[in-house]
Amino acid sequence: MVGQYIVNGIMMGGLYACLAVGFSLVWGVLNVINMLHGSMVILGAYACLFGVQRLGLPIYVVAPLACGALFVFGYAVQRGLINRVVSQPILITLTLTFGLELIVNNLILHYFTATPRSLGINLGTVELLGMRIPVARIVGMLIAAMLTLLLYWLLRHSKVGRAIVAVRMDRHAAALMGIRIPQIYALTFGIGAFMAGAAGVAMALIYPVTPMMSGVFLGKAFVICVLGGLGSVPGAIIGGLVLGIVEGMGTLALGPQWATSVGFLLMMAVIILLPSGLAGKKGYE
Amino acid sequence: MRKFNTGLLAISLLASMAASAEAQETLRFGAPVARTGPLADAGIKSKQGYDMCVTAVNQKGGVDVGGKKMKLELVEYDYQSETNRAVQIVQRLINVDKVPFLLAPYGSGDTKATAGVAERYGVPMVAAAAATPSVFDQKFKNLFGILFPNAMITDAEVAYYKKTMPDVKRVSVLALNSLFPKAIAAELVTSAKREGFEILSDSLYSPDTTDFSNILTQIKSQKPDWIYATGYTQDLILIRRQMADLGVEAKLVTMTAGPSYPEFAENVKGLAESVTTNSWWHQNADYQDAFIFGSSQKYNEAFNATFKRNATYLEAAATAACQTLVMAIEEAKTTKADAVRDVLRTKTFNTFYGPIRFSDVGQNDFNAALVMQIQDGKLLVLAPDALKQADLRPGVPPKK
Repeated sequence: MVGQYIVNGIMMGGLYACLAVGFSLVWGVLNVINMLHGSMVILGAYACLFGVQRLGLPIYVVAPLACGALFVFGYAVQRGLINRVVSQPILITLTLTFGLELIVNNLILHYFTATPRSLGINLGTVELLGMRIPVARIVGMLIAAMLTLLLYWLLRHSKVGRAIVAVRMDRHAAALMGIRIPQIYALTFGIGAFMAGAAGVAMALIYPVTPMMSGVFLGKAFVICVLGGLGSVPGAIIGGLVLGIVEGMGTLALGPQWATSVGFLLMMAVIILLPSGLAGKKGYE
Repeated sequence: MRKFNTGLLAISLLASMAASAEAQETLRFGAPVARTGPLADAGIKSKQGYDMCVTAVNQKGGVDVGGKKMKLELVEYDYQSETNRAVQIVQRLINVDKVPFLLAPYGSGDTKATAGVAERYGVPMVAAAAATPSVFDQKFKNLFGILFPNAMITDAEVAYYKKTMPDVKRVSVLALNSLFPKAIAAELVTSAKREGFEILSDSLYSPDTTDFSNILTQIKSQKPDWIYATGYTQDLILIRRQMADLGVEAKLVTMTAGPSYPEFAENVKGLAESVTTNSWWHQNADYQDAFIFGSSQKYNEAFNATFKRNATYLEAAATAACQTLVMAIEEAKTTKADAVRDVLRTKTFNTFYGPIRFSDVGQNDFNAALVMQIQDGKLLVLAPDALKQADLRPGVPPKK
């Protein structure tokens, strides 16, 4: 039974990591608290639902298309709107993304209504040592892990990735080295949106999706980001797993109504004791 | 210049007379509607119910107020599922829009919060979606509720299952930490204990819960005969799916009120089979309605023609709330609040929703509780006997 509880926590943590990695990247590199992130996750989920249910396409075709569409959306939003105010105090970009969140969320609500929708793909469960693991969650977690590792590799070993890291460390020095900052910002936001789209696809496999879930997803991403450390890809994985397991243990110890509160308490403790997060670097608090 | 001024004055007078005549001929009901936010799905359903009433009344010629026909109009604003905003909107509806009557927002919590404002201004308010007795125990003179109390539902369920499944003894309860689910879960526990059931657990979950696997693993270890879950429809969909993922089984699984809505079965598909639920209304209860719709069945046909799906108790209660107000105004022959309130207090209204009779605290006390189950994809009535469509199928998932 204890094993089942731990597996439940890890499965949830994997999804949480997928949810948070794009949010963390944007916050860390652009210093933008992207309030639009939850709605981009929902947009990814609805794009997936639309492709599978309305257009009749297989999910393995729809998933990359949905993520690609979100990348284009994110790139355009950053290039056309956020870049204009990105050097302003953080409150300005926060307000802008909050306004965009309201518009996008209400458009989704208008076109797709508030009725919960599901992909309706039942992948079954696997039994291992007496523990039951839903295949949909394994798939969701694998998508999260693969994309997160890919992003980690991209940031470390590609030219664009190294430019993003350089901008994150010191944008003025990066500009002096010839890096085009507005383009890197737009690419970073686009990658953040791509990851949100991937999280949306994973969520559509597991959850009945409604536009109102955006706030919940944004709240989770925020907590995970603070737990793991801003802008840190491994931090998002660690933060996600820690939150998944801690919420699960909180459910057992105090009851399910306290699970969310336990996550926020942990976040407060990390802010006080480890301002850089569990895997963050000092200076990026 | 003098002629011009006189002409201008005459035009102004005519315009104000025309405006006044327009105002006299339109009767406006004010309604805060949750079009966005977590309650949007239910809020939009309530709005559809109101629209059914407004359209039908106007097709009939309008509201007959002492021989004068008045067009019925709904003045509604989105309160974004936020209680504070609902309270502000009710204040606006009363003070700015000057509506003489109100329809309450969705749910027990928001109804309770806004009823205080209606009471302060003496504006009668009819609630379509508040069943929790604590909403009405303030004994407001202006609050009237269409749904009968939760206890009538839970008593009917417990009595039915005790009779039909005597081997069901041990119950695990899981409820959303919100006024209505918490209250109906508490009533279920009270009813079940009184009838000799053993309550194994009685847990609450918070509105932001994204995972039920650990609480369901805990429930699985308790080996209950009966699992009772209540919360938002999307939560119940996730709970039912995670029950299947974790292999949680029981002789009886009841969910309130998600399975009453078609989207529950649409989302969980085969997993909806044998899940039981309850309801305040169903179109098969063939209540007669001489006022507008004719009967429950005819109401559902009209609803289906407009919205291309069957009505649930939620839309029906919203229509009935509006219809009851119209009937009371016609009976009172005036739009004066005092007279209409007196009619609401004393009269029994025979509607397609069933008889509506407000108790001394303002809540409908006509008991028409339904016990229902999804069988072969259809939501069927198990009890009361007069409306029975099927016998209970035990076991979730069903044993093949």
